[in-house]
Amino acid sequence: MKAKIQVVLCKCCTEIPSVLRLESLSKLASESNNVMSVMTVDAICDGKQLAPVMNDVKQKELDRAVVLACHKKDVSPTLLRAYRRAGVNEFMVELVNIREEVVLPHANEPERAQAKAEAKLRAALARSLMLQPLERQTEEMKTRNVVIIGAGVAGQAAAKEAAKAGAHTVVLEKSGKTLKVPGVVMQHSTLVGAEGYGGNLKLKIRAGEKVESLDAAALVIATGGGWTQLKGSLAKAVKDAVPLYKLNEQVQVDAPIKGPVVVVDSPDPSGKTMAVQDFAWDETLETVVELKKKHPETEIWVVFQEMRAFGLSELVYKEAADAGIKFIRYDKGGVPKADPKNPGVLSVRDFSQGEQLNIRFGTLAFASIPANPDNRLIAEVLRIPMAADGGIRRGSIQRWPVSTPRPGVFVCGSALFPKSREAAEAEGEAAGAMASAFVKRGTIEFGGVVAEVEQEKCSACLTCVRTCPYEAPFIGAAGKAEIRIQACQGCGMCVGICPSKAIELRNYTDDQIMIETRTLLGGDF
Amino acid sequence: MIVAKRKPLGEIVEMLAPYQKITVIGCRSCVAICLAGGEKEVKMLVSALKIKNRKEGRKQQIDGFVVERQCEKEWVKEVEERILDSDVTLSMACSLGAQTIGDMYPKHLTFPGLNTGMFGVPEEQGVWSEKCIGCGNCIIHTTGGICPIARCAKSMLNGPCGGSANGKCEVNLEVDCAWVAIYDRLKLQNRLDLIENFTPAKDWSTSHSGGRRIYVREDAKLSQHQKKGKEAVQ
Ligand code: SF4
Ligand code: SF4
Ligand code: SF4
Ligand code: SF4
Repeated sequence: MKAKIQVVLCKCCTEIPSVLRLESLSKLASESNNVMSVMTVDAICDGKQLAPVMNDVKQKELDRAVVLACHKKDVSPTLLRAYRRAGVNEFMVELVNIREEVVLPHANEPERAQAKAEAKLRAALARSLMLQPLERQTEEMKTRNVVIIGAGVAGQAAAKEAAKAGAHTVVLEKSGKTLKVPGVVMQHSTLVGAEGYGGNLKLKIRAGEKVESLDAAALVIATGGGWTQLKGSLAKAVKDAVPLYKLNEQVQVDAPIKGPVVVVDSPDPSGKTMAVQDFAWDETLETVVELKKKHPETEIWVVFQEMRAFGLSELVYKEAADAGIKFIRYDKGGVPKADPKNPGVLSVRDFSQGEQLNIRFGTLAFASIPANPDNRLIAEVLRIPMAADGGIRRGSIQRWPVSTPRPGVFVCGSALFPKSREAAEAEGEAAGAMASAFVKRGTIEFGGVVAEVEQEKCSACLTCVRTCPYEAPFIGAAGKAEIRIQACQGCGMCVGICPSKAIELRNYTDDQIMIETRTLLGGDF
Repeated sequence: MIVAKRKPLGEIVEMLAPYQKITVIGCRSCVAICLAGGEKEVKMLVSALKIKNRKEGRKQQIDGFVVERQCEKEWVKEVEERILDSDVTLSMACSLGAQTIGDMYPKHLTFPGLNTGMFGVPEEQGVWSEKCIGCGNCIIHTTGGICPIARCAKSMLNGPCGGSANGKCEVNLEVDCAWVAIYDRLKLQNRLDLIENFTPAKDWSTSHSGGRRIYVREDAKLSQHQKKGKEAVQ
């Protein structure tokens, strides 16, 4: 059957025509092979404008489309759904980003922009002709369990929210603390293994001495922040230091606080410099200002390496400085120390004056908390990426703030990076809601753009098995690699590394990529 | 398995410079698995050569493919035409493959695209380490399963030498001392007494020192009669 292509040019209101001549793109499209229809719309992201486009598809019985618009993520879900309803397989719709990739970077050079847009259109048309319709499959979830790792602020919020939405929650807590959260609480338990994929995960939990298995549909990582004790050389000399949030609580409830009060920025100032934590500064400033208000006679020092009081926090800093709170900056050459023989004195070199100070204190508090060392283990078990500062990496700050790249695995609170109670609580609620919404679907969708092994060519070298971050490939009964498509995320890593070129990613095959590249670069190679 | 490494691109380009028609042949066994000469590496090398030629204005016709096992005549025979149709064949198998083609077509030029290195084990993705040199007389049952011939820089039979320090080898401080590993392993197996045994000098005649080795299994060989029969069929 002959391919019938629809080309849609989106104006993005007025943004795209301000740089590109759409008539000439439209002419190029209509003169190309297999193009049956060319339409120009004001904004394809506006649901109302989809109707004529889809009517056109139905009337002319088109089987594929090339849409020139903006970033995939902005238009794709709704647009693809509309095409699916109009009878076009969603994998036969090629999206070309001419806003972020053409119009914006080349706003001042319309000729280059036009040439680039034309090349991209030609390449997309060439690729479109090579596309194959793909299907997605579904599988029932075998459980409704939402498992939450960690019963701190974020974990408890997640459990409550998920339970409110009707999910069955299981909370794993490393310590033996008793909790009032809905569902099952497993004390002294940690995650030590995970098989399967979001929707049908098989977890291994070490609970005390035993290792138990547990089915989970979704998982929320709420491991919280790291040390709540002083580390390094200070720890030897100061036995009763408190984390900032404890000091804050004491201030709130008017507990007696022994002055003078010193707040250092890190529980291990002589250790590796940690990522600056904005929240720690906001909380430090608010705490010391409040303390000063309640106890004007108390002498207060804040000892820090780098401070960033963002936005309105600057005013709080000013208030603190005006109230007589002393801010002492140090650098790597003069980190705060204490002598066990002379407890209650912090010695630090004031960076701006170059002078050694001995500060007498009654209370020592430390502000920022480092990432939780447990994160690494959990990331390894679940095979999800970590951020450079030791937190779990989230999907995307704007779009997927409490998701990980693995479907069904969510993350919140200080497991991402240390943050305030309120922020952790809000994230916990969000993650709990996301997890319960995921579980409510009851089925998992998979397939589509996934890897496929041409078994004839496979050398059973295990390279794909070792490489895949999702453990999708395995060596099957025939002694050749196979892909568990439920687990495959279509990342293409195995495809790139297979030494026998036995794996291809559906709709991103070598032929499809090469024809697109050749057309784009206008070369024969 | 046999572990090899591709020769630097510059060296390959220089080797092939005088010729017009080039056939690159990889192997789907050992060198594919050690990521040196499988189909992907062959395709990448062919593309790299084409790009370089285009940049430098050279004209060559380059073609690449793989065979199942290049060290076996039957597999090579299947692609005979493509080999002989070229000015030079660049073998991306280990040297066994390159020499098999060379021996089959002695007038034809066959060049090595890889440096064949060792019998190695993949320790992790992308890391291979040498564990055997094929000395022809294995002794690892007496050394805790660790080969001192391959893993000790001096192939000592009664180690460690005086240069072993902090578990590392004096010849290369990044490498673990084989004899410390042997000691630890024997200790784990409760066989430390073995380390006291004196091992006399090894008979190296089973190794390469005795000249090129040929192994024969009489019972597996075809008789003259069988060979004649096969020839007649062909
Ligand atoms: S990487 Fe390729 S050759 Fe190796 S096992 Fe996987 S599919 Fe087979
Ligand atoms: S495409 Fe990615 S997720 Fe799928 S099998 Fe390959 S490496 Fe794994
Ligand atoms: S030629 Fe033979 S020994 Fe060499 S890599 Fe290929 S199969 Fe292995
Ligand atoms: S240090 Fe150990 S490995 Fe190195 S030469 Fe001596 S015995 Fe051998």
